[in-house]
Amino acid sequence: MDATPQMLHGHDPREYKSELKPIWCPGCGDFGVLSALYRALASIGRPPHEVALVSGIGCSSRIPGYTTAYGFNSVHGRALPIAQGIKLANPDLLVLAAGGDGDGFSIGGGHVPHVIRRNVDITYIVMDNQVYGLTKGQLSPTAALGTHTVTSPEGSIEAPVNPLLYVLGYGAHFVAQGTPGDMPGLTAILEEAIRFPGFSFVNVQSPCVTFGAPEQQLKAHKEGLRKLSAIDYDPTHRMKAMALAQTYGKELWTGVFYRDPNPPPTYDALVRERQRHLAAGALPRERILDLFVKH
Amino acid sequence: MSVQGIDFSRLSLLDALDLAILIEAEAQERYEEFAHQMTIHDSPGPAKFFGFMAVNEAKHGAQLAERRKTLFSGAPCAVTRGMLWDVEAPEYDEARAFMTAHEAMRIALRCEEKAHAFFVEALPRITDPGVRQLFTELCAEEIEHENLVKAEIAKLPPEPALADDDFADDPNAQ
Repeated sequence: MDATPQMLHGHDPREYKSELKPIWCPGCGDFGVLSALYRALASIGRPPHEVALVSGIGCSSRIPGYTTAYGFNSVHGRALPIAQGIKLANPDLLVLAAGGDGDGFSIGGGHVPHVIRRNVDITYIVMDNQVYGLTKGQLSPTAALGTHTVTSPEGSIEAPVNPLLYVLGYGAHFVAQGTPGDMPGLTAILEEAIRFPGFSFVNVQSPCVTFGAPEQQLKAHKEGLRKLSAIDYDPTHRMKAMALAQTYGKELWTGVFYRDPNPPPTYDALVRERQRHLAAGALPRERILDLFVKH
Repeated sequence: MSVQGIDFSRLSLLDALDLAILIEAEAQERYEEFAHQMTIHDSPGPAKFFGFMAVNEAKHGAQLAERRKTLFSGAPCAVTRGMLWDVEAPEYDEARAFMTAHEAMRIALRCEEKAHAFFVEALPRITDPGVRQLFTELCAEEIEHENLVKAEIAKLPPEPALADDDFADDPNAQ
């Protein structure tokens, strides 16, 4: 029985919760990310039919199925191209992309710079667990040096990708990091990222409870996390953000690392403007082939 | 556990009831999620217990909702889910695969204790007599719930020296 009274403001997070129940391992960090996302969307107040959530492949990429928004559980590493296509086709949709660190920074790593340079108005949530959990524990691109996995039984000899530095280096205008170890903090970060006008990136340290190391689990996050909101940190300086991002893998800072105080126009807005500009001289659909015929 | 954006010194009885209802709803929902997690991870004992807790939370929520309806009819709710986190609900990382029924019950006991602590801490800040009475009742009810869980724990056979997951395969071998 639903005993909850009618809300005065906004939406109930349960409106975004689908009938499909998550099959993640008990204790997985992704449960918290999903829960924070429900609340962030409810707070923003866009109804589910105005939201699209696109993912790649992996444990975390199951997330669209667990929401009532439009969802697309796509191909490994291809969440960003599909999300960009959706945004350009229907700019009125609120478009989110989500996936794991392997999906985003290995298989799909080549797409990240391009969504950033175009500045398409989508929010990209990476659930970074430093391991390929769905396929039973292989080394992923963000795994630390020395990490023992089934594909690095003697310890990794590869330097990890630093996702925060990666996106800052390519010019992302909004970069943040959170953890389900701080649910109110994570919800606030997701909300701020979604509200940001342009491409926004949130790295969520979302531990793998089955293949992750004990020091990566939420208990450790709760004990060790440091909030940027608790110090005198100004997130409007890219170089300061890049300096802070160097702590990735050593310290767990949460909050907004960088927020461009003067974000440029989004690609989707520029496309619309270009379409408006060209509309007067555009050929009707049935004469479109005339463009390619020499007269 | 976290509550944001609520000034307890100015809390009205309507808002207090809504807060209490949402606390119960969150706990109910989380226990249902845990019950499902345990079911699909072949842990029927903990699944059954979490299901039992979900039913209890729902029952308590329904009682509070009935009281709200009597006092305030269909007045809209100004308290939102975004204002509270895990007041009575177990935190997501409390669950784990192959947990024992003892462990499941200990989680529930900790949750009842933290809910009790929440109302105890809030009480000195309450000024509205109606809210004070409600929170005092809720404090007492949380103690009752603690005793209920303790009674369930007492019904269990003694905990084995080795937990079930000591016999589980290494994840890579599954």
